[in-house]
Amino acid sequence: MQGSNAGRADASPLTRARWRLTDAADTMLSALFPGRARRLTPYIFLIPAFLIVGVIVAGLFYIGDSSLRVLDRSTFLQSEDYSLENYVNIYERAGYRSVLFRTFSGTAIVTITVLLLSFPYAYLMVRTQSSFLRKFLLFNLFLPFFLGQVVRAYGWLIILGQEGLVNGILGQLGLANISVLYTNTAVLIGLIQYMLPFGVLMLAPALTAIDSDIEAASEGLGAKWYQTLWHVVLPLAKPGFVAATVVVFTITLTEFAIPAILGGGTNDYVANAIYDAFFRVSDMGAGSALGVVLIVIGTTLVSVLFALMGTGTVGFLKEDK
Amino acid sequence: MDDTARRSETSTQAAVQVQDVSMVFDGTPAVDAASFDLAHGRFLTILGPSGSGKTTLLRMIAGFQTPTAGEIFIKGTPVSTTPPHKRSIGMVFQKLALFPHMTAAENVAYPLKMRRFAPADIPGRVKRYLELVQLGPYADRRIHQLSGGQQQRVAIARALVFEPDLLLLDEPLAALDRKLREEMQLEFRRIQQELGVTTINVTHDQREALVVSDEVIVMDDGRIQQMASPTTTYGEPANRFVANFIGVTNFLPGEVIGAESGRARVRVAGHELEGRVAEPLAAGTQVDCALRAEHARILGEAEAVSFSADAVITESIFEGDRTVYSVVAQALGGAQIRVFDTLHAGAGNKGIGDAVRIGWDSRHLMVFPR
Repeated sequence: MQGSNAGRADASPLTRARWRLTDAADTMLSALFPGRARRLTPYIFLIPAFLIVGVIVAGLFYIGDSSLRVLDRSTFLQSEDYSLENYVNIYERAGYRSVLFRTFSGTAIVTITVLLLSFPYAYLMVRTQSSFLRKFLLFNLFLPFFLGQVVRAYGWLIILGQEGLVNGILGQLGLANISVLYTNTAVLIGLIQYMLPFGVLMLAPALTAIDSDIEAASEGLGAKWYQTLWHVVLPLAKPGFVAATVVVFTITLTEFAIPAILGGGTNDYVANAIYDAFFRVSDMGAGSALGVVLIVIGTTLVSVLFALMGTGTVGFLKEDK
Repeated sequence: MDDTARRSETSTQAAVQVQDVSMVFDGTPAVDAASFDLAHGRFLTILGPSGSGKTTLLRMIAGFQTPTAGEIFIKGTPVSTTPPHKRSIGMVFQKLALFPHMTAAENVAYPLKMRRFAPADIPGRVKRYLELVQLGPYADRRIHQLSGGQQQRVAIARALVFEPDLLLLDEPLAALDRKLREEMQLEFRRIQQELGVTTINVTHDQREALVVSDEVIVMDDGRIQQMASPTTTYGEPANRFVANFIGVTNFLPGEVIGAESGRARVRVAGHELEGRVAEPLAAGTQVDCALRAEHARILGEAEAVSFSADAVITESIFEGDRTVYSVVAQALGGAQIRVFDTLHAGAGNKGIGDAVRIGWDSRHLMVFPR
């Protein structure tokens, strides 16, 4: 009843000095930055991000420009005139076509496999009663992030190599050796392992948002576990699947290190071809054109997904559920 | 096991039988040897504070948890190892657990599809049950387009549409505002009586328990404290916990000095009080004398009752239909006593600090061992 006022009077000199300081700071701030301007606050905080993204967009214009200039092989300079020759080249040369096909088909396989594997992992992690199991699963999820991509790719070399772990075990069992290394299969295995944590991390929040009583209700109403999964859990986890698809798809599409190390130079993805064009043959035009093709096809596919399925947990706009 | 089987045969009338059911989490019993029978078509409310084990008991009946000991029978069949989807139980969850990606009608049709009702019958049945809960026009609305009360009704229709043997209500009204909650309590009661479905309701709201139920179980600390009709539960609480949990009750500590059939004489701060007992109490037993606030009275000038004492008003709260006084009676060892004054009669225009005389009729005093 008299608590708060008595408290003010009893406050120590130090506390009162602190109040005066914050009051002064408050007064100063409202003089410098009147209430009306507060509506602008979010936009002001947006400026740094806008500048960084702006640099990337400017770079895109530069790449677009460069993709339309042809390399003069006698001077190693780019032509003054614009032409579509680099794009025609990508279309006509079997080498480029197969790199593009390998990249997109590989990305599709990786995305689908990662979604299939990460759903049970995420589901168990979210629903388990055991806090030990949950921590164990979380720890395993983050462990690979500390290792870095290159170290992990070399790990696969040790496991899959001719004298590696897998062949050692097969030899012990008296089975024939396999030579997976430096094939597209090795690249896919490496990419799936690399992308799995991303898939789990994107799916987990969507599964957490499903009240476990909703599943209990479904069961109580007569549904078997697979019916509950199909009619209730999967539809409600859709935003998580959209987010996981977009993240896994876009990162895999532009992968460089894993195809380079596990593909052994004969199973290049687009990013490797771009690297070669820029730094091996110094053909900026060809590299830029490949980059543009990658961006256009990737963006189109993601846009189509968003248009069909909504933006999932990636988007912040409230959708009409 | 033999004994269990025999007992289930002897009372085939019961819709639900719970026999010595326990649930132990990490060595601590959440439910401790609970037993009760519930006859067909009855409305039972399990009432208790949070952590009393009432929700655990309900979830074991529903099949979401398996008892660590004991057996549950539904219509005479032991079910403790039967998974929920094979039991015939409709449940309304605390947070309703409606399917947000379906319409009201799709929610109600869900159990019919899962339980393989003839597809031709489903639309008609869904329509009938939506009308039962007065939601006919809202069949095609999504869940988030319905109000809180309408969502409640969808949950009830979904739980009842497949004509389950048993309806379970897990505090579904707790989140509603008071007016809507009271309306829905009566609605539950109306639907339950219309369909005659055996119902078990769990709540911590004592008013709800008294209003809607045929029978009330009061639980505390994993144990069933009392099972009785609402009037008996309120009028003749079995022990101190029940007397304290339901209603507003004053307790005066004392010692038994003598007893005759159903009554005991108790010494409280030098006074001799008399009250009724549920079980015979030996002289010297430490007891609490319980007095409902509505049975304590502030007396008028010449009023005579079986016990009276001088007291001073320390608090006075006007609640519209009554005034709640707190008084301190020095004669009773400085005990604080709450008094409901419904008629605004005895106290007149007395206020805080005024001396009054309080009293009660000794047939209202109840004596419980401490």
